[in-house]
Amino acid sequence: MSTAVVGWEQFSKKKAATWLLCIAVILGAIATLGSTGIVFALLLALMLTGMPISIALGLTVLTFLFFFSEVPTEAVAMKLFTGIEKFEIMAIPFFILAGNFLTHGGVAKRMINFATSMVGHWHGGLALAGVMACALFAAVSGSSPATVVAIGSIMMPAMVRAGYPKRFGAGVITTSGSLGILIPPSIPMVVYCVATNSSVGALFMGGVIPGLMLASLLGLVAWWRAKQGNLPRMKKATWGERAKAFRDSIWGLFLIVIVLGGIYSGLFTPTEAAAMSAVYAFVIAVFVYRDVPFKKVPKVLLDSASMSAMLLYIITNAVLFSFLMTHENIPQLMADWILGHNLGVVSFLLVTNVLLLLAGNVMEPSSIILILAPILYPVAMKLGIDPVHFGVLITVNMEVGMCHPPVGLNLYVASGITKMGISELTVAVWPWLLAMLGFMLLVTYVPIVSLWLPRALGY
Amino acid sequence: MMKYLDHLEEIIITFLIGAATVIIALAVGHRYLSGLAIPGLQDWLLSINMSWAQELCIYMFVWMAKFGAAYGVRSGIHVGVDVLVTRLPDSWRKVTVILAILGGALFTGLIGSLGAKFVWENGMHYAVFNKLGMNVADLIEGPTTPDLEWPTWIIYSAVPLGSYLMCFRFLQVGVAFLRTGELPRHDHAHVDGIDEIGTLDSTEALEEYEQHKFNNKEAQGGVK
Amino acid sequence: APAPIVIKFSHVVAQHTPKGQAADYFKKLAEERTKGRVKVEVYPNSQLYKDKEEMEALQLGAVQMLAPSLAKFAPLGVKEFEVFDLPFIFDNYQELHKVTQGPVGAKLLKKLEPKGILGLAYWDNGFKVMSANKPLKSITDFRGQKMRIQSSKVLDSEMRSVGSIPQVLAFSEVYQALQTGVVDGTENPPSNLYTQKMHEVQKYVTLSDHGYLGYAVIVNKKFWQGLPADIRATLEGCMKDATKYANEVAKKDNDEALAAVKKSGRSQLVSLSPQERAAWKKAMDKAHKDNMSRIGADIVKEVYAATGYNAN
Ligand code: NA
Ligand code: NA
Repeated sequence: MSTAVVGWEQFSKKKAATWLLCIAVILGAIATLGSTGIVFALLLALMLTGMPISIALGLTVLTFLFFFSEVPTEAVAMKLFTGIEKFEIMAIPFFILAGNFLTHGGVAKRMINFATSMVGHWHGGLALAGVMACALFAAVSGSSPATVVAIGSIMMPAMVRAGYPKRFGAGVITTSGSLGILIPPSIPMVVYCVATNSSVGALFMGGVIPGLMLASLLGLVAWWRAKQGNLPRMKKATWGERAKAFRDSIWGLFLIVIVLGGIYSGLFTPTEAAAMSAVYAFVIAVFVYRDVPFKKVPKVLLDSASMSAMLLYIITNAVLFSFLMTHENIPQLMADWILGHNLGVVSFLLVTNVLLLLAGNVMEPSSIILILAPILYPVAMKLGIDPVHFGVLITVNMEVGMCHPPVGLNLYVASGITKMGISELTVAVWPWLLAMLGFMLLVTYVPIVSLWLPRALGY
Repeated sequence: MMKYLDHLEEIIITFLIGAATVIIALAVGHRYLSGLAIPGLQDWLLSINMSWAQELCIYMFVWMAKFGAAYGVRSGIHVGVDVLVTRLPDSWRKVTVILAILGGALFTGLIGSLGAKFVWENGMHYAVFNKLGMNVADLIEGPTTPDLEWPTWIIYSAVPLGSYLMCFRFLQVGVAFLRTGELPRHDHAHVDGIDEIGTLDSTEALEEYEQHKFNNKEAQGGVK
Repeated sequence: APAPIVIKFSHVVAQHTPKGQAADYFKKLAEERTKGRVKVEVYPNSQLYKDKEEMEALQLGAVQMLAPSLAKFAPLGVKEFEVFDLPFIFDNYQELHKVTQGPVGAKLLKKLEPKGILGLAYWDNGFKVMSANKPLKSITDFRGQKMRIQSSKVLDSEMRSVGSIPQVLAFSEVYQALQTGVVDGTENPPSNLYTQKMHEVQKYVTLSDHGYLGYAVIVNKKFWQGLPADIRATLEGCMKDATKYANEVAKKDNDEALAAVKKSGRSQLVSLSPQERAAWKKAMDKAHKDNMSRIGADIVKEVYAATGYNAN
């Protein structure tokens, strides 16, 4: 269900008819592949109507169960409840709530000031500060679009005013914002763990080093391009100014200690950490920074609840879908096929990346993970791939997907802030996106990058 | 009438997310403090049982998810793949949108009915007949939840209630679309809060550094 | 030939665990002895239905056979099964099998029938050890310790009876919670302790054998009673042999796990003197008293009579 998006051409009737025909032919071909083919063709067809992904998943399952199997359909109703009846999943609404208090609460603003005082004097100083602020904000927020909004809405206009080309700022922030899901906490990581029954804490740890590496890489690209373009630098801040900026932002920075420190010191489980961060973010937004007046709190709660409900609704229906997959033995068949064709780890990971990148064209991360992880994960385990490594590589892949069209939440958000069209933004992000693609290959084929820290901590 | 329903929906989900957060925070605080060997306080805390907190939080969130999903239809927050639809000629797009809305209504209506049947057979039937003093010999008394020991049929009724409400919302959106050609749209690119701290503050943020503002000539030599 | 009768046997643990092996063994026996007239499809690892769903799936007829842990029957409304969770109610396997293979056990399984469920057999997992980062020997050692338990009222009061704080945690998070210290300790049969690598993150393991963990193999009543009589009889024979096999594998598995834990040197094994064990038993008797009326005094007394339980 949608309306037109900036920068997208509308087809003429003739062109639209051609497209529809092509799609129909492709889907028809997929449907001839047997029951699995029918499932996927139906799912794709329903999704292309623009109906909510959750509904498309659910309708596919119902149709299939009604016509092709003898599973009692009440089991479906039960799954709709039990699918999300898990304490680990509850981290998602908590992290969303915390994130909303942070974006409303002036935490980002103070983090930016701190970052600018530290690195603003280098080549492309404000851009570097933007990357650093994104990394800092990523360490307290679990979502990429939220990171883009929180940092970008302040940083981008500031960069333009300081004399940076608009494209430059948009490119940096759109891509750096994606750190939000790689540096823990991370909502898609929670979703992955729930879908594969892995440990949230271990995966969070796995994201730290790759997150810092990617932040440095994006910063490096910005520095290099700024140096080439001879872009402005800030005056070096004095240590006194830095200390003041640090003091101002300390309340926000302390949330990093609460979330990560709390989990790894054994104060709480990841879900409890999420709840505590929501409480803490509420306190600093309302009582310390006072950027959120008390009467606005119900609105923040309502918005968070609504966003969480949307995600939880996709999750329940995706759980149904993976139940259908298991029922039809599809993960098993895929695993057998891959193992039977001696498709080794290298080619399997390549296939995984391509599949995820393709999915990244049309869906957002949580849906992709929920649909594909239950299918790919068993194969990965049979090939001896570490669950944490697999989770990190999926997350990095999702980051790439968020930054390119046609569907890329970061792009949409950036477009909303900068009032730039999607196609112009696409051009703007490419230097950083290219770096991210390279980084994705590194994470894919060098497992130690993601595994070193969790192992060092004893997982 | 409709306004009351809208308000009720909003109040329910707002309350559920807020209360669940507070409950978990209390449970964590309780567990942490009871581990400290403080005379008196420890005895008191050990005598309080918070084991139900996790379970209650889960159920509150499941209810929030079901009713929030219905609210989400009204506010247009559910994400879909719009790559194709948005490019179709207007009249075609209208047909597709109506199809998509009907799909939503169909699914939620079916799930509502399946859920109602499940809830009925999973203990409601027994509970109702038992209450009315009728013969329950052949009926199954449904299970209870492990910690709170509440009948699961009451907990599970979130599925039929939420789904029927969602179905109603889809139909409502469909009727409105036919009338006005407008759909509720949640702008995922818009996050509340940036209006207030947005562009205005960004200038402030910059002005803090205005004094250091870069002077083009010094660029060649750097400002180090 | 007519299409074979399909039995979907769903369980929530890995294939190589004692329960997983026993399920596969039953499948083998059943398919051999009925000469292919019955096909058993085993779904391990909660592939189809999770812990919380499988019971309702069985009642709906979506699966035909399960082997849930005995603690799962209380939420179903048959609280009598919580008798198995009572600490120290069985001192050893002889006492246990007097119940599970005797009239009291059969009587308990009968109570499932109004729920549309038939109980076929009890499968052992084993007796539990208590682990923590300090040696748990006397009752005062428990004070203020945060102990992970499975969701169960009886286990909750067991932990409270010695002054510790029970905490329900998902199985997938236990290792990390122990490692970081969200919880200080837990109770498990040795095989679970070892396969989940919990011994790596626990300094001490007390060989207390204080509680029992077991399963019941159950089937959908309508389905089972609708089977041809000869097939049902054959399957019941298979179940009997599978049960013997299950209990042997479980015992062997626990013994090997304990030896492996000892050999690893990652945690130290602590033995209780008879006096210390008696003190535990006496303190934890509170869990019996507190839950007596809940479980049903009749059934608890019957088990006491069979095993000769005496807290003092
Ligand atoms: Na993050
Ligand atoms: Na994309």
